[in-house]
Amino acid sequence: MLVFTRKLNEAIIIGDGIEIRVLRVGSDSVRIGVTAPSDVKVHRQEIYQLISAANASAATTEHTTLERAAERLRSKRSTPPA
Amino acid sequence: MLQELSVETRFGKYLADDGAVVTLGDGLPGFERCRQFVVVTGPTLEPFHCLQGLDDSRPSFLTLDPRSVVDGYVTELPAADRERLDARADDSLLWLALVRLDGDRILVNLRAPVVINARRMVGLQLMAPESRYSTEHLLALD
Repeated sequence: MLVFTRKLNEAIIIGDGIEIRVLRVGSDSVRIGVTAPSDVKVHRQEIYQLISAANASAATTEHTTLERAAERLRSKRSTPPA
Repeated sequence: MLQELSVETRFGKYLADDGAVVTLGDGLPGFERCRQFVVVTGPTLEPFHCLQGLDDSRPSFLTLDPRSVVDGYVTELPAADRERLDARADDSLLWLALVRLDGDRILVNLRAPVVINARRMVGLQLMAPESRYSTEHLLALD
């Protein structure tokens, strides 16, 4: 890992057109500004991991109960709400 | 005339038009190398739809329209995502929330739905930094 020391308002540049700038430094957090081309996706790591884990469990879902679940949903829909 | 495409999924074999291939340019987190998908359903699967990957490990996802899961589900797209989908005001977008079955429980990822612009056949998975919705919303059946 490359390690940098940056001061407030200083930045690093990655590749072509990605800039990461220190905007504010607090006692236990740092505010960071990222400027990147629109085709470069920037995500908070924990959110990417959360959605990645949810996708992995959805892709391996059991489906022995699928037809029954589909049937229950269909009958729910055909019953008008009370 | 469109050819029909026979699509093998984890939940059975279904037919799709060969013009029905949707490109998810960023893939889905965890499945980034799969970009081409089709959405299929059938009489025993409805109201579920299967979002079936055609590349790499060919992942199969069960999905539901999140608006059918929660009344008043908020379908809001950030401007950057609208732009990536090339979505016009009058485009009707397809919303697919990924589903996991756990015994009799139906758990729906309302937090990160896949949104598809059928006019352009492109889609993405919403990755909002904050959301009022859970990745494991328990669908109430009673």
